[in-house]
Amino acid sequence: MYKDKIVLVTGASRGVGLEITKHFLKHGATVIGLSRVESLFNHNHYYHFSVNIGDPESIVNCFKKEIGKHFKRIDIVINNAAVMTSQYSMIMPKKNAIDMVNVNLLGVFFVSREAAKLMRNKEPGRIINIGSMAVSLEPVGDSIYAACKAGINTLANIMAKEFSSYKVTCNTLSISAIDTDMLHQHSDIGQEKIKEIIKKIPIPRNALIDDILNVIDFFASDRSSYITAQTIYLGGIN
Amino acid sequence: MTNNQIFEIVSKQLVLLNETFLENQKITINENTILFGYGSSIDSLSLVSFIVDLETLFFDEYGFEISLTDDRAMIREISPFDSVATLVDYVFELVNELK
Repeated sequence: MYKDKIVLVTGASRGVGLEITKHFLKHGATVIGLSRVESLFNHNHYYHFSVNIGDPESIVNCFKKEIGKHFKRIDIVINNAAVMTSQYSMIMPKKNAIDMVNVNLLGVFFVSREAAKLMRNKEPGRIINIGSMAVSLEPVGDSIYAACKAGINTLANIMAKEFSSYKVTCNTLSISAIDTDMLHQHSDIGQEKIKEIIKKIPIPRNALIDDILNVIDFFASDRSSYITAQTIYLGGIN
Repeated sequence: MTNNQIFEIVSKQLVLLNETFLENQKITINENTILFGYGSSIDSLSLVSFIVDLETLFFDEYGFEISLTDDRAMIREISPFDSVATLVDYVFELVNELK
């Protein structure tokens, strides 16, 4: 399905990013993985670069000195990397708030920007952001996180206009809770809060990885050339 | 790198850009070619593409990491994108600072 496609996945070393990486590899793609840490994952068609997604210089340097030189083009980008601290605004640590803006919002901007430069060819390009149910549900404690995720919806919508003449589509898949490292980083109270939220959505269960891959395949498909500036929520959230 | 060499590089890049235009949209390339604003027939997205290609070319081929659209470029009384000549002068200035 993805033979000859070059896919870039941020936050590829674990969790949803790693599952997405394996999915594309399984279906014939070459995958470029970016994450802060080295990856233990090995595959003949997997290339990993250590990049701090929260640092624009780190991103730009990686594209200029590594990706641009070795790959020349990118077909699909999955902006998956994210950090999350759930805390009441008045006691949210300053550093955590800034980290969320840098990784979850600016990181998406700079990766999309640099990748788009390598998508200006005859092949269709796809930029897919991994968003969150928090944008719609606005849970207490997630002010910055939800604001950043709302921001990437808007980034995709505007980039969709800017990049359409290059046949690049930009969409967002807003996922609900999924059983990953990030979910387990929450305190017991935090995890209870998420369980309560999930109970109230139309399909009251956590997302499965296949729920996510299904929509990614839809956005990434060559047939989806007329689908851009869209946000799809999982689980019936809107 | 001389002014003439930079002019050649900029001109070649404009030739490539011209190849993407329809016959009736093609631009005449010389030092007076207007790149942006009144009198320019280059649309804004094509100009963006041209700038990206030029920045990439200077880095990949000549090792000069230049930014043509930072604050410094934008606040100049004479915009680097007024014409090919002003762009060449601006690139010359940037490249010589990096030497």
